[in-house]
Amino acid sequence: MGSEIACQSCDLLVNVAATKHGQSASCPRCGGFLTRCYDNTDQRVLAFASAGLMFLAFASSYSFLSLSRSGVESKITLLQAPAALWSYGMPEVGALVAAFIIVIPATVLTMMAVLCFLINQGRYNPWLVPLAKGVFLGQHWSMVEVFIIAVIVALVKIAAMATVVIGISFWAYAAFAICFTLAVSSLDRYQCWERIEALRAQ
Amino acid sequence: MSDLPATAAKSHLAACHMCLKLASADVHQCPRCGSAMHLRKHDSLQRTLALLITACLLYIPANLYPIMYTDSLGSAEASTIMGGVVLLINLGSAPVALVIFIFSVMVPSAKLMAMFYLVWSVQRQSPIDRRKRSTLYRITEFVGKWSMVDIFVVTILVALVQLGGLLTIQPGIAALLFAGVVTITMIAAENFDSRLIWDNMEEENSAN
Repeated sequence: MGSEIACQSCDLLVNVAATKHGQSASCPRCGGFLTRCYDNTDQRVLAFASAGLMFLAFASSYSFLSLSRSGVESKITLLQAPAALWSYGMPEVGALVAAFIIVIPATVLTMMAVLCFLINQGRYNPWLVPLAKGVFLGQHWSMVEVFIIAVIVALVKIAAMATVVIGISFWAYAAFAICFTLAVSSLDRYQCWERIEALRAQ
Repeated sequence: MSDLPATAAKSHLAACHMCLKLASADVHQCPRCGSAMHLRKHDSLQRTLALLITACLLYIPANLYPIMYTDSLGSAEASTIMGGVVLLINLGSAPVALVIFIFSVMVPSAKLMAMFYLVWSVQRQSPIDRRKRSTLYRITEFVGKWSMVDIFVVTILVALVQLGGLLTIQPGIAALLFAGVVTITMIAAENFDSRLIWDNMEEENSAN
């Protein structure tokens, strides 16, 4: 029973022991995704996560977008976007947006980096279980790629009314979104938990 | 291939929703990660249905009330979600209008209908098109968060377009309602247990 997975979408028992580096397995009955295998998960995740966090630090410190019309100018940073909703009396939406585009992705990426660093050490650590839980719970609620599309839509909307300049922070955020997506797709739920269990059994 | 498919439930095993560990169905706490374990998600259909109805109720005012106000040289103009799409077409940016139309109008309503259909079909133990329904569920789960596009657009516009008396944009109440619709339908999809689509298959096969 060691290498069997119960398909999350139809409960079929599938043996995934034959999955090799770079391959992914899906359910023969319903087509649902089962697992993806990488031999170098730790390195991949650590590389993408640390790059992503650096890009995010850049993205939150410089001008994100600026706008001008008839000599009047307005400029925002990444963090000012959700904060504006807050000041207009919509703290709930502001908090939700901040969580989806900054807080959750940043937390998940940090936890992923620490998790893979600890697993790579080759010793069991009591933090592994809560970290992995946090990562797999949180990654579903990150919306970095949706925000990128939203920025493009917003630019088109205001381009007719005023002159818009894309700041360096936007490009840094786009790079962050790419790193985030790559890091998340490199860490497989089943493989990660199997390795945690193997470390604990040592 | 005529023998019964071996499912976890048939083998008296439950899979942990967090770490995928297989353990005896009598165990209530995952031996690997400590999460609560159930053979199937608890009250899946009732919870999903309740959340879907909540989302439907929010969806009506979300479309009727303005999502933002544009204040240009003293004249304020309110726009709803559909109004924003029409405005974009008038501005000549049809592709972006299509993006907003798909994510803010089509996806949320199609998603609600798909989820209602899935709950209904599981309730009456429908044997048809199990694989297609599984795919429908996975698509529903995947597209859910993309409906937040419009909320993010409003967020950016409200923060950025602050040119004093010249041009200002303010958020409308529909932003809150629509954010609620998107979040609640995402939770509804998460509460739905797609294994229920397949659960009555074995009984049928053995009856034949």
